[in-house]
Amino acid sequence: MDTLVARYSRPAYHENEVLSEQEQQDFTDTVPSLKFAMPPVAHPSAWLRAATDDRSNPSCPIKIAHGTTTLAFRFQHGIIVATDSRATAGTWIASQTVKKVIEINSDLLGTMAGGAADCQYWLAWLGMQCRLHELRHKRRISVAAASKILANLVYQYKGMGLSMGTMCAGVTKEEGPALYYIDSDGTRLAGDLFCVGSGQTFAYGVLDAQYRFDLSTEEALELGSRSILAATHRDAYSGGSINLYHVKESGWEKHGFTDTNPVFWKTKLEKGEFSNVTSSLDD
Amino acid sequence: MADRYSFSLTTFSPSGKLVQIEYALNAVNQGVTALGIKATNGIVLATEKKSSSPLADPSSLSKISLVTPNIGMVYSGMGPDYRVLVDRARKVSHTGYKRIYNEYPPTRILVQDVARVMQEATQSGGVRPYGVSLLVAGWDEGILPEEDIERAAQEQAAVAKQSSSGLEDDGEEGKKLGGKTGGILKGGPMLYQVDPSGSYFPWKATAIGKSATTAKTFLEKRYTEGLELEDAVHIALLTLKETIEGEMNGETIEISIVGPPADHLLGVEGVEGAVGPRFRKLTPQEIEDYLTNL
Amino acid sequence: MSSPFSINGGACVAMVGKDCVAIACDLRLGLQALTVSNNFPKVFQYGDNVFLGLTGLATDVSTVSDLFRYKVNMYRLREERHIAPRTFANLVSSSLYERRFGPYFVSPVVAGLEPKTGQPFICGFDSIGCIDFSKDFIVSGTATEQLFGMCESLWEPDLGPEALFETISQALLNAVDRDALSGWGAHVYIIEKDKITKRLLKGRQD
Repeated sequence: MDTLVARYSRPAYHENEVLSEQEQQDFTDTVPSLKFAMPPVAHPSAWLRAATDDRSNPSCPIKIAHGTTTLAFRFQHGIIVATDSRATAGTWIASQTVKKVIEINSDLLGTMAGGAADCQYWLAWLGMQCRLHELRHKRRISVAAASKILANLVYQYKGMGLSMGTMCAGVTKEEGPALYYIDSDGTRLAGDLFCVGSGQTFAYGVLDAQYRFDLSTEEALELGSRSILAATHRDAYSGGSINLYHVKESGWEKHGFTDTNPVFWKTKLEKGEFSNVTSSLDD
Repeated sequence: MADRYSFSLTTFSPSGKLVQIEYALNAVNQGVTALGIKATNGIVLATEKKSSSPLADPSSLSKISLVTPNIGMVYSGMGPDYRVLVDRARKVSHTGYKRIYNEYPPTRILVQDVARVMQEATQSGGVRPYGVSLLVAGWDEGILPEEDIERAAQEQAAVAKQSSSGLEDDGEEGKKLGGKTGGILKGGPMLYQVDPSGSYFPWKATAIGKSATTAKTFLEKRYTEGLELEDAVHIALLTLKETIEGEMNGETIEISIVGPPADHLLGVEGVEGAVGPRFRKLTPQEIEDYLTNL
Repeated sequence: MSSPFSINGGACVAMVGKDCVAIACDLRLGLQALTVSNNFPKVFQYGDNVFLGLTGLATDVSTVSDLFRYKVNMYRLREERHIAPRTFANLVSSSLYERRFGPYFVSPVVAGLEPKTGQPFICGFDSIGCIDFSKDFIVSGTATEQLFGMCESLWEPDLGPEALFETISQALLNAVDRDALSGWGAHVYIIEKDKITKRLLKGRQD
């Protein structure tokens, strides 16, 4: 036990003689070059773009699940994170029950837009890096640092077809509520409010109109939910359920995974919103 | 260029007549008599086959023509003009109908199409009207369900009973189904006459040509409601006999009928859903048989 | 994705029952991912019991539905009768083939009852008029695969009007719920000998 604690509580670069070369790679190398099999062609990134990017090549042979609405915003009591739950491959709805909020650890949340596999893998990987950071430094990683680990990682793979648009949300003592946007181009931005995915414009429409920093927790949760609802209605590639989270300093709190259908009709029929939708043959 | 300097030869006279059309009718009225009689279950078309020389081969001469499997026609007037019209009728029944709806036109539609061709010849530049009148006989498949037809027949019978007992009832309510043996909805036999002017009339029985008046007077006497096709053929022969100039036998007269589907004319057997033509010409032998029973 | 057939999205299905037929469509009109309208019906009525469903490019759906309105009206005036479904199907076929080298981007579906026999009639077409006669069901639109799956499993012979309504509704609703480009409500017509029932289905709005 003591040896274990000793091993992991010391800075990693002193451990060279203890760890095998492979282990050393796995734990310390944040530049995981050549860990993945690359397509055996002269220009892997160009080949991957042609094979997987259905925007530039609609008949691409590998369809990656796309289409999403995710949002997160800062307010006085923390951060609200909300997403839809639809996964599409082309126009085919592959799933309506996707978890697009990734629980990196009990304090950090990541959201998933773009390639589902890319997001899932690298956010899990980020969770590992965060844990290692904790073990090495004996304290929680800052949101800024965590997001930068991810941003640096995706930058390594720039141009090779990674597709992710993600937000990292967490509340730390030092930072307060902190929110970062990271995408596979290598962009990393701090901000109060982000919407990401094919339905982002629709979510922004509602969110921008109603957003204030001094929102109450209840108001903030409702706003997050309503923004996603608007996006699922107008965006063909968003839908399913509303996945809602509240991130506080004590960690995140889940506020349900709610089917949009009853929520939509309740919003329409009880609040009189969505008047564009017909609900009887004579209107 | 040609149409620049060509104007209609058919022009109004100061009194409002189109004399070219009247001349065309004169040509018709010098033509060999043709007649048609509509029965409940069919129609008969009949005419005399006159050859100018005893050397002519009558078996190759034909004045009654098939237009569609269920429609045929006969003429009185100028033979060459008639042949043109038969060609046009056959063509238009495909281009204007079968190629669009994948079914043959109802009789009235075909009649209208032919009538349009004849009317155009009265208003176009550089042409003369057709010197023929036509009798067009056809059978239409109705689109009403069988029960409706039965119900209509019963209603009709009731009306006939009423009127025969002296009661007139003009204000018929409910669906109008057309005549007893027709109406486009109900289907059945149809007989039309088309004139050089392009006007057309539906008939129960009529005649055109040289002895049309005599023949029609005769038909008026002989025609009765509820006629069967066999009776109609009989009456046609009697009428023809009144007006014919030469001898009457299977070679010198021509008779066609629109009757039950003639599956033996299909040329194939055992094809499911194939229905034979209703229009067919009687063979000289068949005509002789009718004549012996006259 | 940028095929004219899938820019606007939409789905349509017709089914045969016992002495009745049903035809249904979704209500979405979109521009790729953006849903522009949730009230764009794709089933049109021509006469007593002749129905045409049109999916594909929305501008052509409008144009073609209007074209057949004109053609059927002209037919009725000329022939003094309503057009029969089979005759109408042939009219659709020949009209589409007329545009062989510049087709309308639509996939039509015809449904109705034969006036003479009362027998159900349904058929579908490709965009240049090849007729696909069917004894059970016809599907068209961006949810074709999903509809085929639903129909193959739900449909059975000789369904009465109410059972047919349930079947076609479930088939359509569950099919469009797996297609991103169609849905947002539906219209269903049940055609019986002397009764036509039109219903609105409140589908998912996402």
